[in-house]
Amino acid sequence: MKRLVSLILALMLALGVVCAASAEEKQYDRVTITYTCPQVVAGYDYNAPNGDGYSNWILGKFNIDFQGTNVSWNDWMNNLVTWIYAQDMTDVAIYNFSENTATTATDIVNQGLLFRLPDDWKERWPGVADVYSKTSLGPMLEELYGGTYFIPRARFYYNLPGDPLANHWCLWMRADWIKAVGKEVKHSYTIPEVIEICKLIKEQDPGQVGANLLPLEMDTGNAASFFLRANSTYWDTFYKDADGKYQWGAAAPETLEGLKLWYQAYKVDEVLDPEYYLLDHEKDLENFQTLGIAGVSYLGGQTADVENYRKTFRDRTGHEYEDFHMANLLGADGYYHQRDLINFWGAVCFKPDVDPAVFERWMDLMEWTCSKEGYPATSMGLKGEDWDFDENGEIISLIDPQEVQLAGAVGEAKYPSLGHVLGSVILWDDLAMDNPNIREDLRDESKLLYKLRTDESTPETFTKVDWNLYMNGSEELLAVNGIQYADEFSNMITTATSEEELVNLYNEWIESKQAIVQPALDALNK
Amino acid sequence: MTGNPVKTKRTFREWLTHLGKRIYLEKERYILILPGIVWYIIFAYIPIFGLSLAFRKYMAKLGMFGSPWIGLKNFQRVFADPAFFTSIITTLRINAGRLIFVFPFPILFALLINEVRLGRSKKVLQSIYTFPNFLSWVIVASIMINVLGQRGLVNGILSGAFGIKPIAFLGKPEYFRPVVFATDVWKTAGWSAIIYMASISGIDVEQYEAAEIDGASRLQRIWYITLPGIKTTILVLFILAVGNLMSGGFDQIFNLSNSATLKVAETLDMYIYRITFKGSVDFGFSSAVALFRSVINMLLLIVADRVSKAVGGSGLLG
Repeated sequence: MKRLVSLILALMLALGVVCAASAEEKQYDRVTITYTCPQVVAGYDYNAPNGDGYSNWILGKFNIDFQGTNVSWNDWMNNLVTWIYAQDMTDVAIYNFSENTATTATDIVNQGLLFRLPDDWKERWPGVADVYSKTSLGPMLEELYGGTYFIPRARFYYNLPGDPLANHWCLWMRADWIKAVGKEVKHSYTIPEVIEICKLIKEQDPGQVGANLLPLEMDTGNAASFFLRANSTYWDTFYKDADGKYQWGAAAPETLEGLKLWYQAYKVDEVLDPEYYLLDHEKDLENFQTLGIAGVSYLGGQTADVENYRKTFRDRTGHEYEDFHMANLLGADGYYHQRDLINFWGAVCFKPDVDPAVFERWMDLMEWTCSKEGYPATSMGLKGEDWDFDENGEIISLIDPQEVQLAGAVGEAKYPSLGHVLGSVILWDDLAMDNPNIREDLRDESKLLYKLRTDESTPETFTKVDWNLYMNGSEELLAVNGIQYADEFSNMITTATSEEELVNLYNEWIESKQAIVQPALDALNK
Repeated sequence: MTGNPVKTKRTFREWLTHLGKRIYLEKERYILILPGIVWYIIFAYIPIFGLSLAFRKYMAKLGMFGSPWIGLKNFQRVFADPAFFTSIITTLRINAGRLIFVFPFPILFALLINEVRLGRSKKVLQSIYTFPNFLSWVIVASIMINVLGQRGLVNGILSGAFGIKPIAFLGKPEYFRPVVFATDVWKTAGWSAIIYMASISGIDVEQYEAAEIDGASRLQRIWYITLPGIKTTILVLFILAVGNLMSGGFDQIFNLSNSATLKVAETLDMYIYRITFKGSVDFGFSSAVALFRSVINMLLLIVADRVSKAVGGSGLLG
């Protein structure tokens, strides 16, 4: 009898284990999924046995043979849009949705070149649906298109810093040099204040850099952001004036004012890199972070990277974390200027004839990344090995972040695959606010900078998104899309030999663009 | 008495049979040119049909030939953009400059190389001058930044030796075209000279021997024998170059230009690139610009050909 009871108990136990396992782990057939995104590590095999611990584990869990296609940042949209129009896109891709690419997205959807998600997708993948609802863009596109074609990836989910959402872009400054020239290290500077500091750095060369010193270092795009975007909210788009009529932001007085500041920094005070227009992508970052020859730059300040940037700076220049200061940039009027960043970056889309098994697998993967365990894993690696929950359910780190680099380049990082590629719909920015692997004081500083961007603005200088404009796909607006504002304004700066000439060049340029701008304004004001 | 043979008109069938026989007799030659013909059909003639996109609103699902016709709407948009006309002028300026400053260099180089007497030196020199052709423009542009940048080699020498303030060779519009021509010569002259050297090698050596006996100097031999001997090649290449006045050199311009040289660097190719890939994608619009460019190129080719014939040279088109 005793034996029989033991046998029944053992059988029940075994059955229980099997049932529990099947409830937890859905059994998947092997599928191959092709994917396009610039964040795919070029030439890296994500699949076991060649991948890293994280990719092998996650791809094994969902039984995916992952074939990622890397596209360069510059050619991202060229390539992807060409492939979409040629009906030759990968199963899954990340579309770089923005004001400039929205109209193309609408055309692609109207032509039936993307997969329309089934109407019940929100019930089947509620975690993804909840994140989607926080992106603003997702529901807006759904309304416009009459269905879901894009799943925007949320920058923030639990930790949204504000609405409208501020950008993370900020000043990178040499605090030791600022102190040495007798200026205050603070959290916000206006453009003229920065120019003034750079002038002093140029005169005094506190770092003894010599001929290679670059008081103000930024490439063309970042220079346009620094002098124009930070001073004139609508410098490269249209806006509604007090009478509710659309106007062209490039012709606004604040844009010309920003342009004059740019000219002053470049031609009058000569603090801006004399060949800023030749700088390749991230060369300005390298000159600040790696070579330590730049005084001030204007670069990314996402919370996820605030410590990494400093770590690299320390390791490569021999300076301390404290010498690397991040601060907000305000316009000459003392206010923070920006248009709503909108809570997303990159949108997931599928090819129109995607295999249902592939679609469902990728959705399952994305659903997992939104779960309580998946959400930290996408930033922190393997549960139980790199991080875990404490008794209160809080995330704790099991690694020494000073010793172990979780994400990054092949050969340097423990998990080169870690990041947004393998299914994330909540981006790193969110967990970074609470990530114990990042120094708490740096996270707090980053949160403070986000807060100050809102505090130091007005509803007129830090504005909500104008969806009518954002999603406008009229031919008149398409024609204006081709204007390369940063390059055109930069050209005026390098060409002008006096401020008067700059103003003339600017006025001539404004006039020359009327042939395409006025029809766009007419269409908007119709 | 034998009369003139009466010319009878061949029927199409006879003409085909005759052609077939000729091809069979010369089959080795036709096999040799077959890959070239196939290449042209696939990459030059079939794509011509794509130009119909200039008159259509491109719809990917309907395909190139199923997309709806919209008449001249794309052209109306093209002609409404002042940047389009500016890009035409920029293109003509750069390519006309190329004809004047770049085109003669391979000829000159071929003539000079031909005068090198030692075979080994000739080969070494030829290899050295041909090598840059195999570098991509991306690499050439990087080299130029290191050589011509304000902290580059040339400025280093100028400021070190003569105390001259650094010159923005790559950032001043007035230097852009000279830099384009100079880099073009450096990169392509050696390679382009090959065709002239092949032409020179076809000149009868006896002419040189006779001239030498008659006491002609080297320069006289070049002037009276070599140059006339390669005149046809020069003319043909010149006509082709004129036919490309509205296009060509995208890689070079794209890599050497920057925001400081924007106004003198936006050629028609750059314009097409900008409106296609930097703005909103519209293949119909881009095709309209491309078609316009091709038509102008064709007209220029015909004009150059006729002018060449009129001044006593040979033409491409008979």
